[in-house]
Amino acid sequence: MGTPASKRLFKEYRALSSDPPDGITAGPVSEDDMFVWEALIQGPEGTPFEGGVFPAELKFPRDYPLAPPTMRFMVDVWHPNVVYPNGTVCISILHPPGDDPHHYEQASERWSPIQSVEKILISVMSMLAEPNDESPANVDAARMWREKRAEYETRVRDNVRKSLGL
Amino acid sequence: MAEQTLNIPQLVVFIIVSVLAIRWYFSRPVATGTRPAAGQRTSRLNPAQIEQVAQMFPQLNRRDIAWDLQRNGGNVSATTEKVLSGRPLEPAPASFNPPLPRAAAQPVARPTAPAKASQPDLITRYNLANKLNAPSPEPSDAAGKAKTWSQDRNERQANLQRRREEMILAARRKLEEKEKAK
Repeated sequence: MGTPASKRLFKEYRALSSDPPDGITAGPVSEDDMFVWEALIQGPEGTPFEGGVFPAELKFPRDYPLAPPTMRFMVDVWHPNVVYPNGTVCISILHPPGDDPHHYEQASERWSPIQSVEKILISVMSMLAEPNDESPANVDAARMWREKRAEYETRVRDNVRKSLGL
Repeated sequence: MAEQTLNIPQLVVFIIVSVLAIRWYFSRPVATGTRPAAGQRTSRLNPAQIEQVAQMFPQLNRRDIAWDLQRNGGNVSATTEKVLSGRPLEPAPASFNPPLPRAAAQPVARPTAPAKASQPDLITRYNLANKLNAPSPEPSDAAGKAKTWSQDRNERQANLQRRREEMILAARRKLEEKEKAK
């Protein structure tokens, strides 16, 4: 356990394993490298993502927790705030403070060292349920979500079935 | 000024056409020369011609195209006419061994592949195919054990792995049941 960053990540890993939040499993891909994690997030109930399990890769910078990790889904996720098809998640908690030229986000919503992996994953879960329409990463998905909700939900459900091999 | 802007695109088109014509001319003897084993029957076939027809009609089998070109003496427009008029190409006999352009065939197939190729599903990704049909374990027992933090690094890793697998298998079983109930 060398650096402060890997110590902090180890602590977070222990907390997440001992008392995991509902529908979330997360940890390093291998303890040899604490800076690459894999998380599984359950689709929130009452949304088209319900029943799905969404794997994502988290990559932490060497100066974590000063800077936030990046997060990328490893299955197709059709969502206004997820870049398609590469899966990068774009939500405020993953943006460093002071990095918002458009002023869409409150400083309090953005990354700071008092946030954590757990808070990120819970934010992503609620993002799945409630997309942020203001600064979409996937413009097509945002438009579909706004204008053709039924089509959007069908596409999301199809992806869930496919991702589970059905 | 207006004359100049008109001339440059024309010049560019002329250069491209000449380069293509020269390349086509020089690729012919090479293509036939490198396949001495193919023998006389296929020596006149030009892979570029097969490719040309295959690009116009991607639904056609390259072997059948080659067979048709072989029999009409490499007449691309005759083969094209035949396909356009709705007549089917005769399937190539198994013994027929056309000079198929492998390197050239790949870039044609590629553009659709990355766009369509979605990520592998979770069962494949986590290698769970053989665990799918196993009876579901008592969740209370296994999950309870996996949740505790182990002091042993390997055990921790195994616990994490088990929790991942259980989460995916549970989701899959649930969805399967839901589909059956429909």
